[in-house]
Amino acid sequence: MGTSVDLSINLGGLKMKNPVTVGSGTFAYGQEYNSYFDVSRLGAVTTKSLSLQPRAGNNPPRLVETPAGMLNAIGLQNVGIDVYLKEKAPWLREHGCTIIGNIYGASPEEYAELAQRLEAEGAADAIEANLSCPNVHNAKTARGCTLVAQDPELVKAYTEAIRAATKLPLFIKLSPNVIDIAEPALAAEAAGADAISAINTITSMGINPETRKPILSNIVGGLSGPAIRPVAVKLVWDLSKVLKIPVLGMGGITNASDAMQFILAGATGVAIGSYTFRHPTAAMEVIDGLEDYCQRHDVAKITDLVGAMEV
Amino acid sequence: MPGIVTCEVKMHQEVSPGHYRLVVHSPQLAGEAQAGQFCMLEVQAGLFPFLRRPMCFERIFKDSVSILYKIEGEGTRLLSRLTQGQTISIQGPLGKPWPLDESIERHIFVAGGIGVAPFPALAEAMIAKLGKTPEVILAARTESMLLCEEEFHQMGCKVHLATDDGSAGEKAFASEVLTRLNPGTGTMVHCCGPMVMMKATHVACEALGIPCMTSLEAEMACGDGVCLGCVVESTIEIEAERMVRVCYDGPVFESTLINWAAY
Repeated sequence: MGTSVDLSINLGGLKMKNPVTVGSGTFAYGQEYNSYFDVSRLGAVTTKSLSLQPRAGNNPPRLVETPAGMLNAIGLQNVGIDVYLKEKAPWLREHGCTIIGNIYGASPEEYAELAQRLEAEGAADAIEANLSCPNVHNAKTARGCTLVAQDPELVKAYTEAIRAATKLPLFIKLSPNVIDIAEPALAAEAAGADAISAINTITSMGINPETRKPILSNIVGGLSGPAIRPVAVKLVWDLSKVLKIPVLGMGGITNASDAMQFILAGATGVAIGSYTFRHPTAAMEVIDGLEDYCQRHDVAKITDLVGAMEV
Repeated sequence: MPGIVTCEVKMHQEVSPGHYRLVVHSPQLAGEAQAGQFCMLEVQAGLFPFLRRPMCFERIFKDSVSILYKIEGEGTRLLSRLTQGQTISIQGPLGKPWPLDESIERHIFVAGGIGVAPFPALAEAMIAKLGKTPEVILAARTESMLLCEEEFHQMGCKVHLATDDGSAGEKAFASEVLTRLNPGTGTMVHCCGPMVMMKATHVACEALGIPCMTSLEAEMACGDGVCLGCVVESTIEIEAERMVRVCYDGPVFESTLINWAAY
């Protein structure tokens, strides 16, 4: 491989040696995929959403394959911040990984505490606040799915609380299930966010016609994979037109060509999500593929291509 | 350590209506795999099916492994078209193997339908490593779904047949046959089949006061313990450990660890 291409980026203050990270929840805490490739090659490892207490998540069934994708309602099962700090973060640090600590809380105060603890323990280099998980509400009782990310006022309040608790680069992860994604994104930007992560999964569901029962025990889940990629590219483009802060783009990326769509639409960084389940080395191949793309197109710096779609 | 290997198909044939045996050449998998572990098969290139298919090792040979499967949906239907000489991407070996306990005197396998798939490798391992020949209860809905009887006979295993419709062996549930075999202290049961059948076997073993190992199946995305999609509820009351991953914590579990109430 040539050394002439500069793949490094600055994502809202987070320096990454290349633009590639992984979608929260598709890479656990990093260690699990190290038998397939050296995970420190990633621009950053994004952790599973961490909460103050461990969470068991939703009842099974939680997952079903769909055309070119999958539907999940895991419900943020995670080890909790204490186990992460004690067992997971040290491994990531020992292996030289840049860490985006994804957090989930039930209130602004919980998010703030999580961010503060990650920073105090040196267990993250940036914070990604998951304000958009579709799977932590019980669809049987809640009226639809109401997410923090669907209400710009709430996004502002949550972002302000986290911003006050940490100096680390702060990313706000948004939902595609909104009329205009610019509204929550601008609210986050005004409240001090350093970048926007988009998109989380698209709310969706499936029914087994034979049993007449929902396929997921939670009824509603989140759709991911290549099936949602065109939606994600469009929303990243929408964001890049209105934001001053950078975008971390994700949704159905399987290879460097897919990743380039996000970059050309305006994403500074990209995350590989569900496709890692199918092909564990996908993220590494995207890194190599981006370098190859730049060489083929005679581009010296990947950042020169951000938002470079020609219309 | 799990890896991804491209394997050549040595043999692929229908052994019974809708049931196939796939033998692939892979010294790596054959060298690392243990009875009870599984692998993730990439049915074909492209985005359909999106996910790999988890399947256990039926037998582990010197430089190849065999996989026994049943057509359940579009993915396995496409897989069945794979022909000798073609290649397939396989990820593995994954999961925890069956335990090989030297203190156990009598081993009884309880296999339901395609749930027989992980047992030939276990019988071979027990004979080779423990010097013990297991007894096998082969149960299925009907005679054509009873698989591997000949293989177990060749290994010297005593085989008890049971079918729901009485077309072969006893017209009885596997758990009833198990109880009639009078398994006492020093016996361990190893069970794989439909959840209701494993539940009944677990209940029978509890009543008999003997340990029961169960090998579970679940839809899974990663096979590596990452996605948390394949979990089942355990009897552990600690929140962080209430859900156990079939792929990573299993697929073989002590039956007392599983909360069978939902099945």
